[in-house]
Amino acid sequence: MQGLNFANFLQLAVNGLSNGTAYALIGVGFGLILGVSGRFHIAFAITYTLAAYVMAMLTTWYGWNFWLAMLASALAAAILGALMERLVYLPLSLRALSVGSDPLLVMFVASLGLVVIGRNAIALAFLSQTSVNISGFANSGQNVGPVTITTLNMTLVATSWALIFLLTAVLNYTALGRMVRAVRANWEMSLCIGIDPSVIFVVVFAIGSFLSGVAGVFQGTLTSATPDMGLPPLFYALVVAFVAGLTSSPIRVALLGLAFGELEALSSLFLPTQFAPLVVFAILFIYVAMRPVKLADLRRSLSRRKSPAIPG
Amino acid sequence: MDANLILSYLDQVLVFVVFAVSLNLLQGYAGQVSVAHAAFGAVGGYTLGYLVLNVAHMSTLEALLIGTLGAALVGVLVAIPALRLTSEWLILLTLAVQTIIVSLPTTISWLGGTYGLQNIPSSAFGHDLAEPTSIFPFFLVLTVIVYAICFRFGESPYGRVLRGIREDEIACRSLGKNVFLYKTVIFGVTAGMAGLAGAMQVVNNTVASPALFDFNQSSTMVAMVVIGGAGNLIGSIIGVLALVLMGPIFEHVLNFGADAAALWRLIAFGVVLIVVLMVRPAGLFPDKVTRRLGKTLDRLKKQPEPPSDFIPKPDLEEMHVIEDHLSAADKVTVMPRAVAITEASANGTTSGAAAGDIVLTVKGITKRFGGITAAENLDMQLRRGTITALVGPNGAGKTTVFNLLTGAIAPDAGEVILGGENIVGLTPDKVANRGMARSFQNVRVFPRMSVLENVMLGVQHQPGEHVGPLFLNIPRVQKVEKEVRERAREWLTFVGMADFADAPAGSLAFGQQKLVALARVLSTEAEVLLLDEPASGIDFQWVNVMLQLIEQIRAQGRTVCIVEHNLHVVERLADHTYFMELGRITAQGSFAELTTDKRLAEAYFGTA
Repeated sequence: MQGLNFANFLQLAVNGLSNGTAYALIGVGFGLILGVSGRFHIAFAITYTLAAYVMAMLTTWYGWNFWLAMLASALAAAILGALMERLVYLPLSLRALSVGSDPLLVMFVASLGLVVIGRNAIALAFLSQTSVNISGFANSGQNVGPVTITTLNMTLVATSWALIFLLTAVLNYTALGRMVRAVRANWEMSLCIGIDPSVIFVVVFAIGSFLSGVAGVFQGTLTSATPDMGLPPLFYALVVAFVAGLTSSPIRVALLGLAFGELEALSSLFLPTQFAPLVVFAILFIYVAMRPVKLADLRRSLSRRKSPAIPG
Repeated sequence: MDANLILSYLDQVLVFVVFAVSLNLLQGYAGQVSVAHAAFGAVGGYTLGYLVLNVAHMSTLEALLIGTLGAALVGVLVAIPALRLTSEWLILLTLAVQTIIVSLPTTISWLGGTYGLQNIPSSAFGHDLAEPTSIFPFFLVLTVIVYAICFRFGESPYGRVLRGIREDEIACRSLGKNVFLYKTVIFGVTAGMAGLAGAMQVVNNTVASPALFDFNQSSTMVAMVVIGGAGNLIGSIIGVLALVLMGPIFEHVLNFGADAAALWRLIAFGVVLIVVLMVRPAGLFPDKVTRRLGKTLDRLKKQPEPPSDFIPKPDLEEMHVIEDHLSAADKVTVMPRAVAITEASANGTTSGAAAGDIVLTVKGITKRFGGITAAENLDMQLRRGTITALVGPNGAGKTTVFNLLTGAIAPDAGEVILGGENIVGLTPDKVANRGMARSFQNVRVFPRMSVLENVMLGVQHQPGEHVGPLFLNIPRVQKVEKEVRERAREWLTFVGMADFADAPAGSLAFGQQKLVALARVLSTEAEVLLLDEPASGIDFQWVNVMLQLIEQIRAQGRTVCIVEHNLHVVERLADHTYFMELGRITAQGSFAELTTDKRLAEAYFGTA
């Protein structure tokens, strides 16, 4: 527990800013995938992890430029995400629909399978190393008034928010964005106006996975890349995306992610620091438990079941 | 491989069998997907470890029992907020529970932090449980007990209700099942079993650590259940074997190093999981109804022509004869025997009551949703042995009236008096128990259950649906079960669907599903039946069948209220008609009176 003074508060708020921005980025990526395709894409953790490993290989082994390597790593994540949708989720969802089983559960379990495969395949490929480091970023601490912030954290914040605003602009002002929003609103209806939802699904998987890749690269640079690095951020992404609402604009999702980061950081003013990660989940528990039933339409749009809760 | 090594694998298998079989009861039968199963194991495991290490003279068995009960208690506490959640929110909630529970020991020093509690000794019946050979018989006994309890819960009238909850909670409540109680019980029971498995895991490892119970473990258990097949306990055992025994295959048969073998095992498991989902979405060994449903759907896909031109034959010829030649009193004699049971049953209010008595009185029912008035000061009466129709334009609030009467929505004001008592404030299941049951416009049959099971779920007062008799009075449960089956068959015969008793309800055409839904609501033997658009969405010949059935129900002396748009149906059936507009009853009388009303004729009925 730390004392309650203003400088301390500011420092924690700055820490919360960079963590919260990371939550925002993955929340936006995960929320886009979940909101549009309805896939409970736990394997988001794998695209995140893969990007960090690709980044480590490109920078440490081949000496690539940091930004170029980041772009390549995030693209690798995007390709993997798109492949997961095209090769696993899409055929499975069609099959599940044809036999009348709950696509949500099938997608969730398939995604668990992908996590198990991905996590262990990475661990197997790097069997001799428990973690790998990313190089190529000259990190340094900067003092701004009473607080310290690293250049890496500043870069993380700037890059992430730039990407979030870019995505918002794409969704709101481009033809592609309109198609994505149409599919999100009603994929069956979008078929009628000539949009192929399966193509849009692949596109949002690519975009969402790209964002996960960027987040994974930054996390890997901050600490190091490990096979299990993807799971905790995945949980945050889930919480942020669900609590923000699956049809919300990326900005709104991101602000909620930021709020969670700040909350977590500032909670150490009142709680022992080891409880900080619990705060968000305690809030999630209370939120879900106390959640009124009125969000029925949201849930319906997610589970894509036709029958309304109460016919009328 | 030496015997000890094999036994140590088998011990591991038994631990996961307890985990998987109990999770299947929760997930496969009751349809509640939980990714917190390992966390409940942590509650049991840590409780055992802490007690054995810190409490003098605490035996392993006592600690095991306390751990099991502790986990069950936590399960019930988690169930309460989980009651109203749909699967995606339930996954989220259980994810939070999983994370919180497993993070706690790492932050609490007396639970050992990240490394957990170490060197936990255990013994039972004078045997030190340090060797696989002494552990195995002990675990085997525990596993058999858990399996037997799960089997009893699942493959019994109780399990039928659980599967009903999985398929459609609202329909289940409408049949008088206290869905919340069932969910709470099954959460508690399965969490307790997970706690036992966790305690077994700790005995087996002599360590209680967070890694034994983390999210990966929970998700592996979900995967085992899905691979094996939801609703089939044997399948779960095979799912466990598939995962656990892959380890020795990679390590000892393919001779990978121990580290690599552990990883390969999990990769292989993930691949098997996805392949199974692709090839057999319902798991390797689905329960028999799901299996049949799959076959029917495959067959339908292969032959695109209409599935069946079947028209149900509820003794049509006979019914014409009856109508032409027999008095109303005689009609009752050709009713299925189930009716005789109703009449003769201890339900004293039914016998000796005359047709025309007021059975249900609605006084001043009002409901507002924000600024919208869905029902404004409604007054209605339903009389015994009559059919009352509720008509009006779309959005008038007719279905809302059904929801208000059955307690699906609580009214802001007013009374609903059934059998002399105000039933406002009762939940839908309580209302059904009191003798008022409803059907749904969109049928809401339980698709992955057989037609017969659908109807059996409607039968009231089954001892096998309660935990006490289910385990303590097995002969009576078996006897009543036979009677319930018999009654359900009679109702199916009545609606003409007896030939389809074993077919999965989801494989039937819509009109057939409507008849099954009718048989289901009839089998509740409720005095008052609220039928929501019984004749909508089915073709002409079927409408005729349906109407004859409803007329027969009236002839039995039951009280019927229908919501219907088809005015021919209303004209033929209704003894009394209420006309609703914008949440108010604006006219009532016989159908002829309403249709001759000038304003209504222009506004709704149309002028001839």
